[in-house]
Amino acid sequence: MFRNRIKDVLGLNRRNQEYVRPYNHPKAKALADNKIATKKLLAREGINTSEVYKLIKNRKQLAFLDWESLPKSFVIKPNQGTGGNGILVLYGRKKGELAWIRPGGEVLSKKDLALHIENILEGRFSMGERSDIAIIEERVRTDSFLKQYSYKGVPDIRIICFNLVPIMAMMRIPTKRSNGTANLHSGAICTGIDIATGITTYSMHMNSRSLLSDTYEMIDNTQDLKINKKLSGVQIPDWDKILDIAVRCQKASKLGYTGVDIALDADKGPIVFELNARPGLGIQVANQAGLRWRLEKVKGLEVKSIKHGIRVAKNLFGGEVEDSIEAISGRKVININEKITLYYKSYKEGSKNDNKDREITTAFVDTGMITSRISRSYASRSGYFETMRQFDFLKCPKEFPTFKDAQDYIDEYSKNSQPDGHIIRLAKIFEDGQIVVRPVIIIKIKVSGEVLDLEMIVTEDTTHSVILGRNDLKDYLIDTSKTFK
Amino acid sequence: MTYTPFTQWMITTGVPQQVLELLLAVMIVATIVSIARYIIGSKTYGIYAPIILAIAYSYTGLKYGLAITLIVILTTLLSYTILRKVRMHYIARIAVNYCLLSIMLVVFFIVIGQFGFGLDNMSNISGLAAISIAALSDFFIKQYVKKSFKSSVLILSSTVLIATLGWFVITRDVITVYFLNNLWIVPILIVLNILIGQFTGLRIKDLFRFKSVIQNKEKDNVQK
Repeated sequence: MFRNRIKDVLGLNRRNQEYVRPYNHPKAKALADNKIATKKLLAREGINTSEVYKLIKNRKQLAFLDWESLPKSFVIKPNQGTGGNGILVLYGRKKGELAWIRPGGEVLSKKDLALHIENILEGRFSMGERSDIAIIEERVRTDSFLKQYSYKGVPDIRIICFNLVPIMAMMRIPTKRSNGTANLHSGAICTGIDIATGITTYSMHMNSRSLLSDTYEMIDNTQDLKINKKLSGVQIPDWDKILDIAVRCQKASKLGYTGVDIALDADKGPIVFELNARPGLGIQVANQAGLRWRLEKVKGLEVKSIKHGIRVAKNLFGGEVEDSIEAISGRKVININEKITLYYKSYKEGSKNDNKDREITTAFVDTGMITSRISRSYASRSGYFETMRQFDFLKCPKEFPTFKDAQDYIDEYSKNSQPDGHIIRLAKIFEDGQIVVRPVIIIKIKVSGEVLDLEMIVTEDTTHSVILGRNDLKDYLIDTSKTFK
Repeated sequence: MTYTPFTQWMITTGVPQQVLELLLAVMIVATIVSIARYIIGSKTYGIYAPIILAIAYSYTGLKYGLAITLIVILTTLLSYTILRKVRMHYIARIAVNYCLLSIMLVVFFIVIGQFGFGLDNMSNISGLAAISIAALSDFFIKQYVKKSFKSSVLILSSTVLIATLGWFVITRDVITVYFLNNLWIVPILIVLNILIGQFTGLRIKDLFRFKSVIQNKEKDNVQK
């Protein structure tokens, strides 16, 4: 089906005209732009934000600031800053001095920090020309799992929420080039996240050479770490919790269309960094998907609860992760219970009645088995009834005391019999606690769009009519998350 | 030059012709900036900077205007880089920058007066126009401080580019005379801007930015 992809993509004009302006009331926008007010609101909702140590509202307060009382590591930010400007991260305190160390190793004295705070107070980093408040707050200690992907700073997860539905998500990972910030323009990596599973998909890096417009290049590994890591297929910890927090933030803030930035703290779990009333559009590139059709699907939908909104999102927008893994690994993803097409013996490609000669059934994927299996009734139905009769004529013993006996029987059989009929060989298997010998036949099936001729052992009827074993699973990745669907 | 009765009437009723031409120029450049922003997607330092720049260029001539722009930006960069190491307040820093800028412009005029470099007649240049161009410095630093050097240079170049385009349009006599004689274009410009204001389609820059998403045809189809 061909669709016009241009219509899927959300541009700046439409974002502003159809989403930000109509759905984000000026009051709600003002709240999102004010970090202190946001923190207060979220605290009332029981959502974690980073702890504030000190607020500095004017120069007088700065003059009376008790520097000794500050902890070893903290962050200074402007209350109404834009785009991550004016944020100063301090990693540790220099021993015996009133000086702190930045992630890059630079040492800042008390005087340097005071000047930075003065600049914040003057509104140098803030929206408009107003004066601002400086916040001194706790430094988030990144979750140890995500830490291995990031250069120094804190990776954060951005989730766009609209109408109580999480629409799209990405993770921004600081790199050496971005100097430890999660700012895409300074070279941080953005990685798309599958809404349904919280597994990362595509990763993009802004092209440093291109000057005229933001262009990204697709990458699949971290760029400048000591040991570079694969970025796709990473399961974000606490994903459902993160989605829940994002939607709760949207609900509390009364922003109709918002981007929620969440970081994972090693001790506290998900922490909300900030809410954005005008979230950027680069997230579409990270996910290789357009926001516009997703937003339009959700527009006007009556979402009854936060849980409902998340369910809607998972059903509508999930599933990118399979595509992305297939694209990268070249292998298809199948479920534990995978729908397959079973072709009958009478099936001929292109014949008119080909619908009668096949059926759709569910195969159970069992990596504990080597050869695939088919139940006797299915084999008979597929046109191998006579073959089964042939096997019965062999009068093969019902069970064997040991595998060696079974092997002896098979050896005897292959020596004496002519290869005729459809039984290609006999196989010894363990069935219902007994060692038995069963015939192996070739069955044509279609898995994930691919037609295969598989060697299958015909077993007595069990719960699973078709079982796919290890021999035939080499080209697939198995997704265990959809076992009971 | 003869004008239509309406224009003639306006000029005789006390609207100086030069002011009328200037106001028309403002409207034209404003519309160009609006098209550039919402249809093409190229950002400028607000709308005031490109308008004032285009008009300043029309007074100084493009060659001289661009030369002054270059001097302004280079001096700004130089002074900013030097002053960055000094601990000082923001406005004071900008004030020092303006002082340095004025000195450099004087030096520039002297150098041109002495050696020419293909730019003679600098003495005819209107001081007001030169100062208008110097105001660019403030915009440049603000962007530099709040965003980044790269973004500031990018926006600077598109501002200068759009101002140059504006200069080109408003200095064409044909266009100016036509506009003066056909003042009904003014409401059309308003309507055009209202339409641009309602435009929700993708900007040309968006097309480049989301090229990979747009080209990636196979994905998402399954879900719909």
